Amino acid sequence: MPDLALLVIACGIGTYVWRGAGLLISGRVRADSQFFVWAGCVAYAMIAGLTVRIMLLPGGTLADTRLWERLLACAVALAVYFIVRRNLFVGIATGFAVLVALSSARHPL
Amino acid sequence: MVLAAGYLGFGALANGSAFPLWAALLSTLTIFALPGQLAMLEMSIAGAPPLVIVITVSLTAARFLPMTVALLPTLRSRDGPRWRIYAAVHLLAMTGWAASMRRCPELPQAERLPWFVGFALTNWVCCLVATAVGYALAHSMPPLVRQGLVFVGPLYFVLILTGETRSRHGIAALACGAVAGPLIYTVAPEWSVLLGGLIGGTIAFLALRSGKRA
Repeated sequence: MPDLALLVIACGIGTYVWRGAGLLISGRVRADSQFFVWAGCVAYAMIAGLTVRIMLLPGGTLADTRLWERLLACAVALAVYFIVRRNLFVGIATGFAVLVALSSARHPL
Repeated sequence: MVLAAGYLGFGALANGSAFPLWAALLSTLTIFALPGQLAMLEMSIAGAPPLVIVITVSLTAARFLPMTVALLPTLRSRDGPRWRIYAAVHLLAMTGWAASMRRCPELPQAERLPWFVGFALTNWVCCLVATAVGYALAHSMPPLVRQGLVFVGPLYFVLILTGETRSRHGIAALACGAVAGPLIYTVAPEWSVLLGGLIGGTIAFLALRSGKRA
């Protein structure tokens, strides 16, 4: 399916454009300028917005889970993550287990 | 690598939706941004026109512009061929970025780019392998487990952002973005990542600036 390959590659180029543009812009601005502080703020805000949006209003397969299930799994994961001194693996494994447990309680096998 | 778990989920999802393995791998190779890849997968299954898919995926990647701009002054060194840094930014993704923003300023200038490339390249290879493994295991995975793996992606961002963000600007921007992003999504879903970041980030930046003056 050459069409699919074209689609994927076009998406890849569309993604690289932003990385490349960031590279070009950053070469023209002084490293300690307020512009970089602002750019950092925008980057953090974009990711935070995207993440919270997926948690609250997911599309695709996650839309089958309930809002409170996702929030509870997220809250437990955060709590465990900080208790085990920021061990990402333990935190995420916990969140994963909580979500699967909650939604399987709703869909008895 | 925890990000690999997200790619396990992506591979499994691709298999479940009759998306060929080579195309899933190609997308990890060329796009290497999980949110964009998920958007591409879900839209192409839904039968969206290719042009709309390309535009949407490109928009979800807009976050790389400020991320690259923010990280690059730390990585850039005077010597060495320029193509190296152009190749290096292709590997820039959330994990490598968050880790480098924290670690690289502590390293001597000459070691920063190699550190970043080593970290990001390892990530890239792990994600490729995870895509293939997720694809292969999809049939033996119950749907609930697959759902949990898709959940790993956003959960990962929540933990790494709350745990690793130290600067006042970063924290303020996270808070503003977390409110602005979903709000804008309810009005203009396809622009929400871009606009939410611009608006939330600018509010955080301005608020801290006026706070400093007062």
